[in-house]
Amino acid sequence: MTPFRPMLEALTRQRGVRASLIVSENDGLVVDSSLRFDQDGDRVAALAASMYRKARLSARAARLGAVAFLQLDAERGRVCAVGGRSDLVIVVVADPAANVGLIRVELFKALESLE
Amino acid sequence: MNIATVEPWVEAPLRRFVDDARARLALLLHPSGQVVAQAGFTREVDVMTACALAAASHATSGELGKRVDGHAFRSLHYTGPDRQLFLSPVNTARGAYICLTVFNGESSLGLVRMYFEELCHDLAAAAPPLPAAPRPTIAADFELDLNRNLAALFGREPAAT
Repeated sequence: MTPFRPMLEALTRQRGVRASLIVSENDGLVVDSSLRFDQDGDRVAALAASMYRKARLSARAARLGAVAFLQLDAERGRVCAVGGRSDLVIVVVADPAANVGLIRVELFKALESLE
Repeated sequence: MNIATVEPWVEAPLRRFVDDARARLALLLHPSGQVVAQAGFTREVDVMTACALAAASHATSGELGKRVDGHAFRSLHYTGPDRQLFLSPVNTARGAYICLTVFNGESSLGLVRMYFEELCHDLAAAAPPLPAAPRPTIAADFELDLNRNLAALFGREPAAT
């Protein structure tokens, strides 16, 4: 068990959360994950890391500063991600009806404990 | 990106892989080192060299895996300052191939691995069955085949033998 496991399990216990992962932003690889069944962690990790990286580079190019919170709403789910100073990004995949406000608060708490 | 193939059924899956994974270079080859398809290379000599080195590297890591783990290591990943490479086998009805993928910071190992799995599925689905038992490869055939494949990839007449 990695030291990230309790934090990831706390995130996955939130209502509507299907998966939570710690991902390397540069490699797009899973460092640790807590997944409900039928979730493909590798695929989510690769795509979420790529999306987060693009968002961070775009924000920097637009002189908007660092990315605080990234949210993608899609027809059948949403992806939320936060990253800090390290290469690690915390990613949550949730149902469309999940409470994003609550997820956001929990993600920032998790990020604090990560740093 | 410029893609050239010796076997036409390889082109569509390889093109999709290169586009999706945002690869800078890709090479599909036989484990013997003969080229099957290339994407992004501009010089014949680079393809020949890359094929030889990729085949050797794959054979080396496979044998090393057998020694230390009892099974051949499948995939290989190297990181350089600007570019990275991913080397992994692909199994089809036509036999086993090796795929060499070179990518930079626009992509990531996770993305390349993810789209590589799709490439494996696409190639397995697209591969026509093997027509007959293959001839044994001898040194003369190898050079002949290599020259014919390179000629097909770079659109020139095969060298007279």
